[in-house]
Amino acid sequence: MRRPLTLYGLTFSLPLLIWQLLFFVFPLVFLVALSFWTVKNFRMQPDFDTVNWVTIYGRSVFWQAYGTTLAMAAFASALVSILAFPCAYAIAFKLSDNARRWAVFLMVIPFFTSYLVRVYSWQIFLSDAGIINVMLGWIGLGPYGLLNTVGATMIGYLTLTFPLVVLLQLFSLVFIDRTLIEAAHNLRCGRLRTVFEVIVPSARVGLVIAALFAFILCFGDFVSPIYLGGGDPTTLSILITDTTKSGQQWPRAAVIALTMIGTLLVVAFAAVRFAYKGRTK
Amino acid sequence: MKNDTLVSFEGVVKRFGDFVAVKRMDFEIGKGEFLAIMGSSGCGKTTTLRMLAGLEAPSEGVIRLSGKPINDLPTWSRDTPMVWQSLALFPFLNVVENVEFALKMRAVGKAERRRRAEQWLDRMQISEFAGRNISQLSGGQRQRVALARSLVVEPEILLLDEPLSALDAALKVRMQSVLKNLQRETGITFVYVTHSQSEAFSMADRVVIMSRGQIEQIGTPQEIYRTPRTRFVADFLGSSNVFTGTVTASDGGGVMLDTPAGPLRLTSGERLAAAPGRSATLTVLDTRTNLALTAPGGPVNAIPVRMIGEEFIGATATIYLETGTGQEIRVQKSHEELAGIPLEIGQELFAWWAHADGHLVTEE
Repeated sequence: MRRPLTLYGLTFSLPLLIWQLLFFVFPLVFLVALSFWTVKNFRMQPDFDTVNWVTIYGRSVFWQAYGTTLAMAAFASALVSILAFPCAYAIAFKLSDNARRWAVFLMVIPFFTSYLVRVYSWQIFLSDAGIINVMLGWIGLGPYGLLNTVGATMIGYLTLTFPLVVLLQLFSLVFIDRTLIEAAHNLRCGRLRTVFEVIVPSARVGLVIAALFAFILCFGDFVSPIYLGGGDPTTLSILITDTTKSGQQWPRAAVIALTMIGTLLVVAFAAVRFAYKGRTK
Repeated sequence: MKNDTLVSFEGVVKRFGDFVAVKRMDFEIGKGEFLAIMGSSGCGKTTTLRMLAGLEAPSEGVIRLSGKPINDLPTWSRDTPMVWQSLALFPFLNVVENVEFALKMRAVGKAERRRRAEQWLDRMQISEFAGRNISQLSGGQRQRVALARSLVVEPEILLLDEPLSALDAALKVRMQSVLKNLQRETGITFVYVTHSQSEAFSMADRVVIMSRGQIEQIGTPQEIYRTPRTRFVADFLGSSNVFTGTVTASDGGGVMLDTPAGPLRLTSGERLAAAPGRSATLTVLDTRTNLALTAPGGPVNAIPVRMIGEEFIGATATIYLETGTGQEIRVQKSHEELAGIPLEIGQELFAWWAHADGHLVTEE
């Protein structure tokens, strides 16, 4: 049902609309335009040249970084989904109402501290002279090179996404109709099998959305790959900063950023389609 | 019909913390029987059914299925499929996948389970909806899917927890005959929990009436209707006039009761153990209660009453009357039987019934 615009309605919606125009649509349009600009003598000038697209898409280092970032974000979102599920399941089905409220509160606490600070504190754990290696030293092991590895980057990604994924999964699990679980048990579906036959399909939308959020956060993350992964392998976020630093190549950085936005749109679209597959209103 | 016992409850008690949901249940369910468990909400009927399904564990006592105790058997190891009030169909599976579910859990091969599921869809006359989503079905169609899903494994017993409560009146009556025919054709024991007297009495071979966690009466619908055993059952069914008074005489010929409505006598051959001086309650069916302008003679009880209202449903009329002490009495008769009796509000009449039509019930 369409309703005519009123001054009253506009009073509330206009500020948000202007904000979106100013800080989202306009920069995005500018980014597209920027990707066709050219750089001469370290100075950008407005232009309409596809040279940046051709250069970036012609470089193997870009495609390597693209593949790495895609794979690492996909792996991280799968890993965090699998690790978070037992946690969300236990909170949803095994705890009393009171304990569940406490668990939700505990899952919110990590957000009190900045992500950057949490990543720095991982450095204290993982560095060569860090807490873990010192403790391993007591039993005659190590030191191991834990920092500046893909594993360390993954730890950072989990730090970023784990509480959020648990909360998102939890909210879809608590709304599952309990009689469906009883009905499955009653039809000879055992406890573990019910998880896969009934609970996961019932919560599918929430689980997919949670994984999607994890993917989006990891795909664009700069903090973990640089401070825990040591910038190696290079992710797209690192490639962007490198590109801007080397010779003022903002237009080329814009090409990378737009490719990332495009990828996220495609992934988000596919994920939502998959989540709602087979559902009709 | 009830040659052998399929299920027996022996001293079964269920407590939730301090709350006693089921006080003590001792009863048996015969093979191939249609048993209805009836009572108002919170009487423990659903808890009883859930204990039989293995969804609740009894706090005390033993439940046997085919002679074997099943107390410790989890629900997925019993063959006691249940139809939920909400039906609990899986929304992420289509119709035929829902019906196949139990077969899949039993590791029946793909082709075989599709064949058996389709057989049941056919039997329930919903074959055309096999590929549909649950959300695309009407209430009656969902009902049939739920029945097919539970019956596809051809169990010995089917548990039903108020499955018809969400349907409209006309569909309810149709599904009642579907259920009754299904039970008769398959010979599967049905245990049907309901709060609706019409559902219980129209379908069941035997009815269990429960109140506050206890069995008030078990019997065929006719037995219960004609001779309610307790005051609760008489009030619950609402088909009898009830008089409470003191026994003044009890001998081989009958019992005399002194009630606010006057002295009443009954001579039916059952339960005449009432000792003089004790309180007792007499019931008489409203269909067995008659009206007359003058008190008739013979072996009858007659009470002077004043008419206070009437209600016509089809061919029968229910006349509401009041005794001198303000007790309400109902008389249910066909229009022919009431011919010649002036039915006007305020009319003085006599309500009467034969001594043999009264019954004594147990006081609580």
